[in-house]
Amino acid sequence: MVLVELAKILHVPVWALRGFLAPLVYPGLAVLLGTVLFLIWAERKMAARVQQRVGPYYVSPKLHGALQLIADGARFALQEIIVHIETDRLMFILGPILTFTFLTLPFTVLPGGPGIYGFRSDFSMVIVYALLTLSPITVILMGWASSNKFAMIGGGREALLTVSGEITLALAMLSVAAMYGTLDFVTAVEKQMHTGIIGLVSNPIAALLFFLAMLLLTDRVPFDIVLGEQEIVQGPYTEYSGVLYALTMAIDYVKLYALSLAFTLLFLGGWAPFTTPLLGAISVYIKSLIVMLFSVFLRAVYGRMKLDQAMNFFWARLFPLGFVALALGVFVHVIYA
Amino acid sequence: MTNKEERDNHRPSINPVLAHLEAIATGIKWLTRKPMTLMYPDMEEKKPEYFRGFIIFNYNKCIGCSLCAQICPPRAIHMYRVPGDKRIRPGYDAGRCIHCGLCTDICPTDALDVSPVHDEVFEQIGSMDFDPVEWHIISKKLVEEHAKRKRKLVITRVDEEVGLRYEPVE
Ligand code: SF4
Ligand code: SF4
Repeated sequence: MVLVELAKILHVPVWALRGFLAPLVYPGLAVLLGTVLFLIWAERKMAARVQQRVGPYYVSPKLHGALQLIADGARFALQEIIVHIETDRLMFILGPILTFTFLTLPFTVLPGGPGIYGFRSDFSMVIVYALLTLSPITVILMGWASSNKFAMIGGGREALLTVSGEITLALAMLSVAAMYGTLDFVTAVEKQMHTGIIGLVSNPIAALLFFLAMLLLTDRVPFDIVLGEQEIVQGPYTEYSGVLYALTMAIDYVKLYALSLAFTLLFLGGWAPFTTPLLGAISVYIKSLIVMLFSVFLRAVYGRMKLDQAMNFFWARLFPLGFVALALGVFVHVIYA
Repeated sequence: MTNKEERDNHRPSINPVLAHLEAIATGIKWLTRKPMTLMYPDMEEKKPEYFRGFIIFNYNKCIGCSLCAQICPPRAIHMYRVPGDKRIRPGYDAGRCIHCGLCTDICPTDALDVSPVHDEVFEQIGSMDFDPVEWHIISKKLVEEHAKRKRKLVITRVDEEVGLRYEPVE
């Protein structure tokens, strides 16, 4: 294998090379950066097309404005970072950095293809879930540290919604774990490939719950209540500017990428039908890209829910449905046993 | 029946699952439609013959009668004394002008005329206020630049199917 050869040349153990490459190259930071740039462009372009507009265009007319995000990035990089006098300086500056760091950690255990992972653990699903739930805490702190009423309200909304969204996500993951009888992503994918039945078919309720919780946790429409541009400017990120603002904007997309990857592995058969690392990695990436594109496409279809509507939807409708999914998972376990 | 009951009875019944699918399908259907934006700086609507854009001024034709300053509704035209000239001449505040064209109608010598230039950009508000000589110079410049423009000219048509359509004209 390429990795073993590379490890020999560099005189480092293979596991260390894996642990280094997975979070930094694929599925981690390098691919992530390109994906986020593409995704934001695609989101704006799709919303524009549905509304019969053109969307970003004049930055690079030949590429239909694909370089717009790079131009925006250059602008953010050169912009002054304004930290106003009433902020809690340390937390204000550390907030986006910490959140972004927390969100890149799941890529150490999320496999991006057959044999492409940082560390293989029997509890990788739990690890990913735990690492993803760290980020709302820092987002709430960002809202507090900004010393701004919009940011404060945004932080409060984040707290409320995270609780309801994460319970649903946990139930969906739990039913999947019961279904495959494992807490490991790699084993889950192998079981799907072995039986030929993907999770979306065997437990569609869990897939739906996972998808909706993903939309909520990543502030996609119709659950973009935390950002709520027309009501509270940018929610907890209102006061940020420059590079820090670029980081806050990336937060939701990074989360979306991690969760889409998990969705692909758990419900769409991961790297099926391929078994070689390269084709498997491409398969996983394309599947999760489709999931991401679909979730950003919803921006053009829906309006924003009110806070109480969303809470009601999640606690009164989806939470009970979660137990149905769990029961279904336990029954379906027979197929994968 | 109370108001609320009445309202509830008149709510259209919606199947929650089908309605969502329908909404998403509609979104996808619209995704395939062509945008109906006029790609403005590359493409421009053809202006009608007497389109009233920036008012252009020919200093040499003016006889200094100041009728234009009297007729101008928002007082965009003021009369100036120009050094070395016995007569008073009109100056123009493009920021105030409402493009009514009255000044061009009343001018006895056709020193004022309408032009199709409507998109000249001024960076400062003060730079939109011209004295007679400046007005004469900028008028000449704008007319020359406009003649050199190579934009695709189109005519807008309202279409039942796509909304707005743009037909190219020569
Ligand atoms: S077009 Fe009308 S508003 Fe403009 S300068 Fe002439 S009279 Fe005044
Ligand atoms: S109406 Fe015509 S001729 Fe009289 S001052 Fe104005 S521009 Fe000159």
